[in-house]
Amino acid sequence: MRFSQLDRIIALEKGKSICGIKGLSLSEEYLKDHFPRFPVMPGVLMLESMFQASMWLIRATHDFKFSMVVLRETKSLKFQGFVQPGDAMHVDAEIKKVDGSLTSLKVSGNVDGKLCTSGRLVIDTFNLADRESTVDPAIDDYMNLRFRKEFRRLCNHLDPMDLSDVQAAPFAVTATN
Amino acid sequence: MPVNPEVFEKVKEALVDALGVDDDEVTESATMVGDLGAESIDFLDIVFKLEKAFDIQIPRDELFPDDILTNAEYVSDGKVTPEGLEKLKERMPFADLTRFEANPVVQDFGNLLTVKDLCNYVSLKTKAA
Amino acid sequence: MRWFWIDRYTEFISGQSAVAEKAVSLSEEVVDDYAPGRSFCPASVIVEGFAQTGGILVGQISDFKDKVVLAKIPKCKFYCEAYPGDVLTYRVEIKNREGNGAMIEGTSHIGDKLHGEIELMFATLDDDRFGNVELFEPAEFCRMVRLLRTFEVGVNPDGTPIQVPDHMIEAEHAFLKIGSGLEPGQ
Repeated sequence: MRFSQLDRIIALEKGKSICGIKGLSLSEEYLKDHFPRFPVMPGVLMLESMFQASMWLIRATHDFKFSMVVLRETKSLKFQGFVQPGDAMHVDAEIKKVDGSLTSLKVSGNVDGKLCTSGRLVIDTFNLADRESTVDPAIDDYMNLRFRKEFRRLCNHLDPMDLSDVQAAPFAVTATN
Repeated sequence: MPVNPEVFEKVKEALVDALGVDDDEVTESATMVGDLGAESIDFLDIVFKLEKAFDIQIPRDELFPDDILTNAEYVSDGKVTPEGLEKLKERMPFADLTRFEANPVVQDFGNLLTVKDLCNYVSLKTKAA
Repeated sequence: MRWFWIDRYTEFISGQSAVAEKAVSLSEEVVDDYAPGRSFCPASVIVEGFAQTGGILVGQISDFKDKVVLAKIPKCKFYCEAYPGDVLTYRVEIKNREGNGAMIEGTSHIGDKLHGEIELMFATLDDDRFGNVELFEPAEFCRMVRLLRTFEVGVNPDGTPIQVPDHMIEAEHAFLKIGSGLEPGQ
């Protein structure tokens, strides 16, 4: 995934919560536009980081059985502080409610303990073949494999197990920081 | 004064939307900052939502009397002076300032406004309109 | 990856409302690999499209002198995904404005189909804390706003065209003179 807005997963409890890190580098090209004289992480990328952390939590919770994990709603999403080049934003997401295919989460981001964003997300989870009769389920399988691989990259530092075996049984993440 | 249930429901809806809190967290006695987690950027959102829901105009300093709280004339050693307290009461007849009066530390002011105060404020404004 | 999330304005009524378009393409870095197998435009990028459509509308009120930033998204809902080949139409309206803030409401459509709904709150950076901060290079910012055809479609509520603010024209002139090798003022 080229548009990756999470660098590392540091803790994950399936069905419950995840904690990850997103670092901001001055070499990001978009900082030349946002803003030329005041480079800061766009608020919507904080949102994307929190969404992606939530997405990994949901994928891992379902053992990578659902290919599509999409943002349906945000509620009371606030940007309290700036994230500047050199900062590492800690991202937290916690599942509050599951209602059918919809998961509600409480999310936040902080830099050195100082809150910079917080809010709630509602995320939909499904397989394409279950909603569109013309879709070949192989597409879902392919996506699930790709996401499982990507997930391993974010968890690399956690687990020395053989990473070539991406088809292995559900990946249990128990390590903490 | 007892809170009008219709007003309470509308205020509750605005707060649930603006603060992302659950329905049952919004009680009459809940404080905006301490209990419901309102931050400074939320107040503008709340003001906009109440203006829309009740078709009223809310001048910012009526609900958030920053001008009094930052005025050297009414503040001394981080506390509101008796004159300042009189000013606040005049400005905010809808708010119960009894607890604040006992120890009027400016910093604590933000945490004193309750859902009930907000309902009373809106009732006053709609009557005046 | 650059940071332009609308392609152009098609309507712009100063202080009131605006309509902008954004074509979603598989060539975009944010799209190509986002959901490999059925890629779509990330929701966050669409929120940014709304924010740019509304932020420039709010900034134009002060002739782009206020430093306007996104402070809160009270509400945001998406009903479907935007796939490569789709053209999103953002419609935003200024609902409320007060000293240091503005509330925007907006919708996004793909053709006639409602795709999303949003409320955005913008705040102006106050001079007490951000007096020394500048967000943009003035001439470059002018070019950016021109790029979106803001001044070509922009009108005041009475129908007269909006003008490029004097300070932006001056910055542009100064830039062009330096660029041509001539001394400023020559």
